Order: sequence, then structure tokens, then C-alpha cells
Amino acid sequence: MNWNIVLAATIKWVFMVLVFGLGVAGILTWVERKMSAVIQDRVGPNRASILGFRMLGLFHPLADAIKAFTKEDFVPDGANRVLFFLAPLIALVPGMLAFAVLPFGPGDNLVIANMDSGIIALLAITSFGIYGATLGGWSSNNAFAMLGSLRAAAQMISYEVSMGLNLVGMFMVFGTLSFSQIVYAQGHLLGGWLPEWGIVVQPLAFILFMAAALAENKRAPFDLPEGESEIIGYNVEYSSMRFATFFLSEFFEVVLIAAIVTVLFLGGWQIPWLDPKGIAGGWIRVLQVGAFVVKTLFVIWVMMLARWTLPRFRYDQVMKLGWKIILPLSLLNILVTAIVLAML
Amino acid sequence: MVKVKVIERPVPTVSTEIYLKEVLKGMGVSAKHFFQGITTQKNLVTTQYPEEKRPYPKRFRGHHRLMKREDGSARCVACYMCATACPSHCITIEAGEREEPYIQKYPRKFEIDYLKCVFCGFCVDACPQDAIRMDSDKHRIPAYTRQDEMAGNIDLLKLGGLSQARQGGKWS
Amino acid sequence: MPDTEEKKLVTMKIDGQEITVPEGMNVIDAAEQIGIYIPRFCYHPALSVAGNCRMCLVETNQARKPVPACREGAREGLEVTTNSDRIKEARKDVLEFILLDHPVDCPICDKAGECMLQEQYSKFSLRPSSLSMPKVHKPKVKVMGPTVLYDAERCINCTRCVRFMAEIAKDPVLTQVHRGDHAYIDLAPDKVLNSPYSMNVVDLCPVGALTSRDFRFKARVWFLESTDTVCSECSRGCNIRVDTYKGEIKRIVPRENPDVNGMFMCDHGRLAYHEYENDRLFTVAGTRTGDMNYTQAVNRISLQLLQMIKSGMPPVVILSPFMTNEDAWVAIFSLKVLANVNVFAIGGNAQGEGDDILIREDKNPNTRGLMTILKHFGIQPVSVKEAIEQADNGMIVFGTRHAWIDEIAKKIGTLDFGVILSAKATPATTKAAFALPVPSPYETTGTWTNEFGITQRVQAVLQPQQEARPIWQIVQDMHRGFARMQTFTRVEEITDILMDKGLIALDDLTNTGDDITVEAGK
Repeated sequence: MNWNIVLAATIKWVFMVLVFGLGVAGILTWVERKMSAVIQDRVGPNRASILGFRMLGLFHPLADAIKAFTKEDFVPDGANRVLFFLAPLIALVPGMLAFAVLPFGPGDNLVIANMDSGIIALLAITSFGIYGATLGGWSSNNAFAMLGSLRAAAQMISYEVSMGLNLVGMFMVFGTLSFSQIVYAQGHLLGGWLPEWGIVVQPLAFILFMAAALAENKRAPFDLPEGESEIIGYNVEYSSMRFATFFLSEFFEVVLIAAIVTVLFLGGWQIPWLDPKGIAGGWIRVLQVGAFVVKTLFVIWVMMLARWTLPRFRYDQVMKLGWKIILPLSLLNILVTAIVLAML
Repeated sequence: MVKVKVIERPVPTVSTEIYLKEVLKGMGVSAKHFFQGITTQKNLVTTQYPEEKRPYPKRFRGHHRLMKREDGSARCVACYMCATACPSHCITIEAGEREEPYIQKYPRKFEIDYLKCVFCGFCVDACPQDAIRMDSDKHRIPAYTRQDEMAGNIDLLKLGGLSQARQGGKWS
Repeated sequence: MPDTEEKKLVTMKIDGQEITVPEGMNVIDAAEQIGIYIPRFCYHPALSVAGNCRMCLVETNQARKPVPACREGAREGLEVTTNSDRIKEARKDVLEFILLDHPVDCPICDKAGECMLQEQYSKFSLRPSSLSMPKVHKPKVKVMGPTVLYDAERCINCTRCVRFMAEIAKDPVLTQVHRGDHAYIDLAPDKVLNSPYSMNVVDLCPVGALTSRDFRFKARVWFLESTDTVCSECSRGCNIRVDTYKGEIKRIVPRENPDVNGMFMCDHGRLAYHEYENDRLFTVAGTRTGDMNYTQAVNRISLQLLQMIKSGMPPVVILSPFMTNEDAWVAIFSLKVLANVNVFAIGGNAQGEGDDILIREDKNPNTRGLMTILKHFGIQPVSVKEAIEQADNGMIVFGTRHAWIDEIAKKIGTLDFGVILSAKATPATTKAAFALPVPSPYETTGTWTNEFGITQRVQAVLQPQQEARPIWQIVQDMHRGFARMQTFTRVEEITDILMDKGLIALDDLTNTGDDITVEAGK
């Protein structure tokens, strides 16, 4: 075994997943509340303070963490203890693994595992996330949790199909399954001025993928498995750090999906119209990684905006949207893409 | 002829059925508020409670108080009008006899059960002696025991003030 | 009231309606027959006509000025108008005049709520006072006697009380003093309002001038819950209405029943409920009961009674004339027919003083009913003294109030089988082997037969508390072990049996008459 590779992968994992992924996810717990407040003309959380400094309420995630660690870890009567303990981890870990295939910058150094079949690996790994919600709800021995987990299972399986099919168009256009290759391919300029981003060449796929990804993430307007105003959802019996883990995994998935969308549709780390040769040394790398981060944060912002704008779907509407609209349109998208490619 | 106002119902069109345009419109509104909110605090609709307190409205119905005469005794003559008007039967009065011939009655016990009181103010309207008022500008603070929810003469008189209204047959 | 039967009938008109009444009948009474209420203060059907309040003014076709209806006798061709604008205006004027010096202290007045002045003012006038000078002040809170207080400022000088004391109570101690707006009612020199009928003036007073000292500030009248029943204090059996508030008796007022008590009752009957306020017996007591509950005690009594009957040593029974006919029937039937008891005595209060108005010498409500039932079983009651002498085997004592209670207590303490059914804790209940709680007369349901043979229904005003049971139920439970015992679940079943056997006659079970205390609401 080459220990250098392991060491390098570990360092990369620490920076990419723990620092970037979990860091952003942690701050998102504050952003979610603050942004909802600002959108609704309120002030939002601003009470947590250290020595009188309130910092716009930025200490609230910290206070939440302390609270989550110190609260009673409650296990309901009749719960399946093993699965009950495992479920939050099952929800969190696939997201962390999926980061491995996403390139933060050009070359092999800024991606943990530069796999040729990165997209397939990603789909395979994220499919595990469904077990977290389903098992968590089932093992709680609670009718509402069970209902939430059933909804989660049905919804996530339905939208996973569309999510995968929308990526097929991307393979066809760019002719590769590797994320790095796709990002490189998006560096071209069509007609000399239009960046050849996924959103440009596959606009329908972008919209459908965004919708499917939101549904996969179980966030508003697809937050039926949680549905805090009706059934509380699969995590109703969870408390303390286990609940926080579920909570964190949700925000972590937000970061993950934003990163995937950035890589596939928004050109990843590419900065259009910028000649890399004009900038000296390593600074170009910094700029490119910065571009990736900025694009990711923008996608997160859009997702948050959608979450605080759209009302929750009804369950039948979710199923209808998934199976009768997004799925046929995805297939249509593949067909049109194939025809256009064949004619070119 | 009956005049019927015909309301135009929105006809579903392709653009509304696609839903995408409406979603973007809505997100646009949210985005507008977002940028307004982070640049200016002008549109805030909330009050920062502990630092900033809204004044009680002039006609706020708060904790009851029993008004006093000049000699400090309760103006109440135990006529039971408040107890009669009370829709939640929360007022318990026991009448006693005074020496003074013009106002022969006084409340030996005047108790309001705040677990039952609905703060409707009927007792204030019913009082013929201006003896009970709810303009104390105080909330009823919840208590820990049932007994503490009963406010008797002394508690209610503590909040009381002097009333100038004429009382008894002496001056009339 | 004048005897109307011999008078010839005349036809007259009231408000356009023709009516045929005996000649000379009061227009107020005549109008009432066709449902027209003429307001009044001083007129009262039981008293002589004074005609001094002027509230009952009506127009007739035979006088130019309005005339008081209470003084106007019915005669042929009389046409009376009670609702013309002139009369309505006249009523308002009269009320304004009456209210001129009235203190309007309704919040502290006990009459408020059943005050004729309040009701008629709100019904016929509602005109504000135009007085711009100080009101005339008169005596307040004047003690008229042991039961009545007087407030001269509230008084409207109708003289109902003066006439009542002179005509009905035959004790003319009240009179009107001074003149004009200084007039008020006062006691005659060196007299006190202490007649046994003095509290009737409280009911008669149309305003709050005369108020009861017993009911003073106890409750507002609109909170009272009323039950119609019969007074227990003498063998006349006055019809009464008992008013309660929050489960406590607050006052007793008479009901009109021309056959029994007319419209009034005595003060003793009004205050009799105090007898059952203290020292009540609510749980099983006695020397041999220990911590038994009602069922255990009554089972023990039942077993012992059975043994005594089998060994031929029956106890003696002292009945109480406070028992209802139903209680007496069940008790005598069970003890005589089933238990073969031979010695029955009638206890109860001793004879007292009576008069020719309402109060009777016999101070027990149901002596006649008890005698009727004893006679039905062919029993000749012995005196209480004899019964106590023969009581060596055992003794069963019914009822609370006995003139011989001390002798009974002395004897019952020596007995192994001494049972007493009492509503109050007395020396006898502590000394007896078994003391079972029974309801007071105000908690009893059944019938009483008064001295004149009129049987009247008694209604429970309050429910028996804790372990107290009706006497018929206790007796029934005591005889569970005996064969041939018919059991009842409702007291009405026993009443029906008594009526079938012709022992009592109840024509109208709810014969109540009208309340005389609230007249204006008619």
C-alpha cells in the first residue's frame, strides 16, 4: 500500500469534507434561520452572545451544538436500538463519501478520487442516504415516524430515477463519466463567447435535475417526510446529538447537491473568459477553487430561496410530478439530445 | 334581476401549468425582500421585546383592582353585580355589615379566581359604584398553585386608587 | 276578602273586554281575571284597601279624573281603561313622586331583584328624576324588633305593614308618623315588633324598607334556587318556598294556599331551618358501630333484629310524628307485620301554645297521618314513658326531636340493642348502640297530613348528605333478612300504595298556589 496516497487522501478529505462541507453545513443552520427572517422582514436569531458580543447571532450554531451534546439521549420504548443508533450515521456518511469524486480544482490534486466513472459512483453512494431516513423512522416505533419514513422512501426512490436519467444527457454531450473531464469540457467557449456549461447545453436537464435533487434532499417544497406542521416525520423520536446528526446531514446534503450542480452544470472551477496564462504561479488555482466555492454558495442560496418561497407539495402532487412530468421529460431530453448529437 | 358579480377565474395556460415562471416570480419576491433585509432594517415588522416594549393600549383590560374611598376602605358595597354579570363565574363575594348607615354593606371577602377569569371586563361595566376596574396596566402573572390564582380583597386593593365618583345617599 | 257568592253578577268592560264579575269586586282583581295587570303598591288582596299609593290609577266612564282601581268596585256599565296615554303618564308621575326621596341604594338593598318599585319603575316609567334639591333624610337601619329592620328612606308609606299588624296579626304596633315627605312608619310608643307573625311584613313590603335580619346580606335574591315544600314546625303544615344558595338554605317564605295557610306563615317556621344547621349527624355513630360504614351497621342491626324476633323478644318502637306517611308506612308495616313488634309509641315535640291565626298547639307536622296508619294496622300506641319502661329487650327510636329525648338517652345507653335514626347528634345518638343518620325535614321527600286531614307533598330542598338515607330506605335495609319484604326504589311507589289503600288523599300533588312575595312580575 502506498501510504503517501492514503495520507494525501486523508488531508484532502479533511479539508474538503470536514472544513468545507461540514463547515458550510454548520453555518447553514444559522443561514437557514437568518435568511428566513430577513426574507420575512424579521430580525432572526440574535440572542446568543459571548461576553456581550452577539455577532448577528452567529453563535447560535455553537449554542445549538452545546445543547445537542448535553441533552438527554432518549430512546423510545420498543425501538430497535441498533438501527435507531445507526440511522443518523447512515444518513450522514454517504454524503461525506460522495464528496470524494467532486473536483474542487483542475488536476488530480484537488480531487480525492479522480474516478473515470465518477457519476456512477456518486449515484451509487447517494442511494444509501435513503436508508438513514427509512430506518430511522421504522426503528422509532412511532406511527408518525413510520409514516415519515414511508414517505421518504417512496419519494427518494421516485426522484432518484429522474436524477440519474437527467445525467444521461450530460454523458452524451460530454462523452465522459468523469467529473474532472466534464469540468474540463465545460471550459470551452461556444462560438467564441458562450461558455459551454451544462446549463447552456442541457437547460432542461438542469431544471429537472434541480427539482429532483431538491426532492432527493427532502427539503421544501418536497419536505413531506419531515412535514413539521403535520407529522413531524421520521426524526420525531430523535433527540440530542442524534437529532443534530440528522439535521446536519440534511444541510450537508444541501452542500453536496450544490457542489454537484456546480460541477455538472455551472462549469465547476472554470472561470470563463479568463486566460489562465495571464496570472502568475499558484494564484490561478486559488482563483479557480474560489470560483468553485462561490458558485456552490450561490446554488445553496438559490435552494434556500426556494425553500422559503414555495409551499409544501401535497403527497399526490409529489408523486405526480415525479412520475408523470419529470420522468417523461427526462426521457424526452435524452431523445432530443441523441437526435441533435446524431445530426451534428 | 339579482345582480351577480361575476368573478373571473384564472384560466390555466401553458405558462402557469409549467409552474416554472411562477416559481421564479415567487423566488424573485423573496430575493427582493432578502436584499432589502440585508441592506436596510427599515421594513422590520417585529419588536425586540425585552429591550423595546410596546405600550399598553389605553383600553387594555389588565389585572383587576378594587378602588378605594378617601379613608382607604374598598368602595365595593358587595352588590354582586359583577358576580352576576361574570360569564365565567369567577367572582366570589361574601357581604358583611358596616356601622355606617348610608353604605351598610361591604365585601368581607372579594375573591377573583384567575383560573376562571376570561378578562372580558363585564364586571367593570356592571359595577354601579366604580369599585372595580381593570385599568391597572398590569398583566395577571401566572402562579404555581391553585391557591395563588385566587386574588382576594387585599391583593386587589393594593392596585387600587382613589375614585372621585359619588357614593351612597349622603351627598345626593 | 268579602264573601262574593251572595253578590249579584254585573257586566263591565276593561280595556274594551267585557267581563262578568260579582258586584263590588275590586277592579284590580277583575282585571287580573282577564290577564290585565294593573300596577299597585299599597293594595294587597289579604288586606283592607288603603288607596294611598295612587299607582293603580285607571280611567273610567263615570269620573272625569283618573280613579284608583283598588277602590273602584265593579258595577253595571262601568268601563275601565288601563292603557290610555293619560294613565301611562299618570303612572310615570306617580312613580316619579314616590321615587323623589328614595335613596336608590339598590346595590346594598336586600330587596333588589324582587322589589316592586324596581320592577314597576322599569316596566312603566324609566323616566329620570328631575329633583334638583337635596333629598329628605329619615331614620336608617332602625331596629323594629328581633326579626325586622326598617329603613325609612326607602319606605313609600304604603302602610301595608301597618294594616297587616292591625288586621291579620292583631298586634297593632306599627303606625305612620309625621306628615308629607317626612312621613314614615314607626313603632307605637313602648312597643316592639315582636309578634310571632312579624316577618310577614318583610314579604308584604313592596320595597326594601322592612328587611329581615335573618336574611340580611346573606345572598342576592336572583341567585336563590327555590323549592316548594311544607313547613314542619306545627300541625298546620304551611306551604313554604325554601330558597337556597350554594347548597345552603338562606330563607323560607310562605306560598299562598287558601285551604291551609292563606298567604302568611309564622316567624318560627321561617327560622326553623337553623335547627338543622349545626350538630348534624352525617355518618353512622353509636357505641357498637366502631368504624362500620352504613351497610355493615345496617346488616348487623338486621341480624340482631332477626335473632330477637326468633327468640320472641321484640324491641319497642318509638315513632316520630316528623316521619312522612311513607316512612311511617314502611316502618310500621315492617316492624309490625314482619317483626311482630307490639309496642309502638309516638314521640315528637310536646304540645305548645297555639293561636287562632295560624299556629297550632301540636308542634309536629304529621301526627294525624301517623295515627291514621297506626289505626290501619290496628295498633293502639302507648305513651313514650310506658314504652321506655318496657324497652328491656331493645328499642328502635325514629326521628330527631323528641320531648322525652333525655329519658330516651338514659334508657338507650343501657340497652344492647338500641337503635336511633336521627338527623342530628344528640345525647341519645352517642349513647345508643347504633345511630344512623337520616335527612332533615328539608331533605325529605314524601307526604305529611296536617291536623285538618289535608295531605301535602314534601319536597327535598337539599339532597341527603354522606351516609344519610331516608327512613323508609333504612327500615327496608334493616329487614333484608326477612321474607315477604317488598322493596321500593322510589318514594313515589309508597305514596301510590298509600293512596290505593285510601290512607291519604292527594288531589293535586303539586298544589302550590301563587307566591305572594313576587307580585309585580305577573
